[in-house]
Amino acid sequence: MFEQRTDVPYGTLDLLILKTLDTMGPMHGYRIARRIEQVAENLVRLNQGSIYPALIRLEEQGWIRTRWGTSETKRKVKFYSLTPAGAKQLNVAVANWERATALVARFLEAES
Amino acid sequence: MKFRLTAARLLALFRTRRLEGELEGEIRAHLEMAELDALNAGLSPEAARREAFRNFGGIEPMKEDHRDQRSVRWLENLWRDVRYGMAALLRDPGFAAVTIGLVALGIGANTAMFSIVDAVLLRPLPFPQPDRMVRLWETPPEGKNPTTTFTFLDWKRQNDIFEALSAEELVRASVDTGGDPVRLSGKLVSADYFDVFGVKPRLGRFFAPGEDQPGAAPVVVLSYATWQTQFAGDPGILKRELMLDGERQRVIGVLPKGSFDRDKARFFKPLIFAPDQLNRGQHWLRVIGRLRPGVNLEQARTRMNTLRTALAPVMPAWQKDWRFTVEPFAQSLVGDTLRRSIYLAFGAVVMVLLIACANVANLVLAKGATRRKEMALRASLGAGRGRLIAQLLTETMVVCVLGGLAGITVAYLLLHAAAPLVETSLPFTADLTLDPRVLGFAAAAVMAVLMLTGLLPSLQISFGKLSASLNLGARGSSGSSAAVRRAIVVAEVAVSVVLICGAALLFKSLANLQQVDPGVRIDHVITMSADLPTDAYPTAASAAAFYQTVVQRLRSVPGVEQASVSLNLPLEGVDWGEFMNLPGARELLLVRVKMVDPWYFATLQIPIQSGRGIEERDRAGAPPVMVINEETARKLAGKWNLANPVGRTVVTYVPGYGPIPESRVNPQIVGVIRNERTGGLQAEIEPVVYVPFAQFPRQNLHLVVRTRGEPWIAMPAIREAVRQLDPHLPLGDVRTMEQVKAKSMNWATQPTWTVGAFAGLAALMAALGLYGVLAHSVTQQRREIGIRMALGARPGDVMSRTLRSALIMLLVGLAGGLAGAWALTRALKSLLFHVSALDPFALAAACVLMTLIGTLAALLPASRAAGVDPMTVLRDEG
Repeated sequence: MFEQRTDVPYGTLDLLILKTLDTMGPMHGYRIARRIEQVAENLVRLNQGSIYPALIRLEEQGWIRTRWGTSETKRKVKFYSLTPAGAKQLNVAVANWERATALVARFLEAES
Repeated sequence: MKFRLTAARLLALFRTRRLEGELEGEIRAHLEMAELDALNAGLSPEAARREAFRNFGGIEPMKEDHRDQRSVRWLENLWRDVRYGMAALLRDPGFAAVTIGLVALGIGANTAMFSIVDAVLLRPLPFPQPDRMVRLWETPPEGKNPTTTFTFLDWKRQNDIFEALSAEELVRASVDTGGDPVRLSGKLVSADYFDVFGVKPRLGRFFAPGEDQPGAAPVVVLSYATWQTQFAGDPGILKRELMLDGERQRVIGVLPKGSFDRDKARFFKPLIFAPDQLNRGQHWLRVIGRLRPGVNLEQARTRMNTLRTALAPVMPAWQKDWRFTVEPFAQSLVGDTLRRSIYLAFGAVVMVLLIACANVANLVLAKGATRRKEMALRASLGAGRGRLIAQLLTETMVVCVLGGLAGITVAYLLLHAAAPLVETSLPFTADLTLDPRVLGFAAAAVMAVLMLTGLLPSLQISFGKLSASLNLGARGSSGSSAAVRRAIVVAEVAVSVVLICGAALLFKSLANLQQVDPGVRIDHVITMSADLPTDAYPTAASAAAFYQTVVQRLRSVPGVEQASVSLNLPLEGVDWGEFMNLPGARELLLVRVKMVDPWYFATLQIPIQSGRGIEERDRAGAPPVMVINEETARKLAGKWNLANPVGRTVVTYVPGYGPIPESRVNPQIVGVIRNERTGGLQAEIEPVVYVPFAQFPRQNLHLVVRTRGEPWIAMPAIREAVRQLDPHLPLGDVRTMEQVKAKSMNWATQPTWTVGAFAGLAALMAALGLYGVLAHSVTQQRREIGIRMALGARPGDVMSRTLRSALIMLLVGLAGGLAGAWALTRALKSLLFHVSALDPFALAAACVLMTLIGTLAALLPASRAAGVDPMTVLRDEG
């Protein structure tokens, strides 16, 4: 069996998390990971655990905040949500990303 | 954002445990949910569990990543090392006490000394734009002189150069505040004196422009300290009047707290020139000024040169080579001797710090040798070299920081104890405190100590072949480490020897100075000063009457053998200098003129070499007489071929009573006395002439009393005798002649004892270092020593082996130290009196002393080595 899956491109996980929280509202770590996997439709391989370091990083930047809630398995878990600063950062990150992809796309066109 | 991030990370540092727990919980919840989802998707419980774990990825690397993200990693490590370091110190309190104590001593002494360096040499003067402050002098080809009234007024007219220019004249006055009269020093100054300093009054105002003109109402400005001590800080002080020398004065202002409280002057009054003072003959005014903004020193100098040339026609002919000199005020405050002494003491204390560092490094190394196993273990478990060095450095840092904190306390205590002793030798602007600058220096010194003491042992420990230490060889001391430690001890000995050599030279110089014959008998003599207030003693005759009666009274006091009156005390200079010549001769001889009464020579036991001394018949109205010292006689003989000066009449100028200027007199030389030292003990003998107080009275005088017993015992009776004569006359500066002598030697005693103390400290520390290395190597070599003894070596052999190794270190250190001394002691030259900077006796004494101290330090470990019991050792370690 041959799996056509790549790792999450470097530096994009933060963007994916912010965007997920923006569209879906507050949710806990497992849901975020699952949501990313679903949207990606198995295009990327995500180690679900790797979102936790990203989440703490985003929290320390002040872009997301946590609240305690209860999981489907009746456990106390952290629910993450976007802060106003995070919403702003999402816009910046999206704009950056679009600029970057546009740039790469233009190069690829020019070369062909 | 940046700040927020840092703050969050710092916070995270302290929430480590909680965050770890939270993460753990999140992981567990995550896995449970994943498992549940997989179960719902139809997987078997077993497969669901595997699937959850597989999708999650590696848990431990993630946790590590999580930690990295949430905290500043090195800070966490640092905190752990600090805790570890503290724990290590607590486990070995002896090591902790010694190392922290060494750092504390070194940092403390350096910080205290730096406070002096900073206050005297580095810090700008505590006045606004201090570089605009200048002193003005009239300068003969050699030395510098105060100026005359007329010349001062000429200077003052250059107001496009000077924003403010003031003369100052020290005075003393008795202040009556109800109780016993007290005598205070004060200054007469021009109205714009405080503009020179740019200070603002704390209370009231300073002098108005017209208040230094004749006829102005008498006003006075008090220093903050005077206000506090004499008037208990009375807030209504400006409404009070003050009796100064019997004259009613209005207090118009109080100075701010600070520099002026360290000045001699406790009060300030306007300097109003009397008609008699308006001349160009009497050099009496010290002048201080503030340059206008934008005027630099060079411009001021050029202007003063031009002015001097323009004034040449009105200047006395014999001053044709004199110039006007502008000197930065800061420079005028610090004399050469003081500057050198401070540099010297600071250099010495830095050496002490270096030795302290060497000792701490040595102790850390010794400890490190026993820790190689631990380090090797950690290295083999994957700790990076950088981490190991960081850990060792942090442990040293704990020592340095604790030592530094203790050192600041030491510095505070040192300054507290030393300030009263040294403050009189320092300029009044020097404020000895532990301010942020000085504390900053202490912090920098701690950093330097940390670098010196931490880096070397760290490298030594972590770069050695750590793997080898894990093997059985670890028991013995490693060769290279021991060599480094020996080298450190040798360096310590060398630096100590340099210091001891310096101290030995200074002490020899001091001994030479002490042996100089002052020319007077100083034992059992007590002295005090008195100023005759103008209101009570308006005329020369009233003053002359006082001298005579006071001496008669004093001689009748029980315990008093002899009493006399003199203008100045021996060793403290002579206020009055004048030219003297023979009638008709063109050449002049500069002499110091001292007014004394008929009993002065007898009281101080100055023998009369020929002719007679001053006698009671030399009173006002009688023909003026003069007694000269041998030096004057020698000069006269050289200049005018005068073999026997007694009986000759000379021409000179002597000041009148009160403000009356000097006038020409023709006294007859009636006798020659043996030289007394008028300058300090180190100064050249000056030509001094003595004229009778009765013929040339002055208002300021000293009483010199020879007692039969302990001088202090007679003092109450002496005071009482003076009080009976004049209850309002306060006596000041009560000192024995011994104290006068000691004070005149301050310039030499202070640096000598300071360097001596530092040298002693350095020698002790070097001895401690030597002891440490030997004791350690004896401990490490117990097994070897045991085997030797088992094979027949006697305790004496073992002992001499240890002593020999000590002596080798000492000798190498001595050689290095002597070389250092040869290079450095020439810096002492100007502070040495009749001692060569390479005096063989002093250098040899220093070597002997160091060898003795070193050998004593080696004896204890040597005897311990001799006491090793081979049976015990071999059984223990076999």
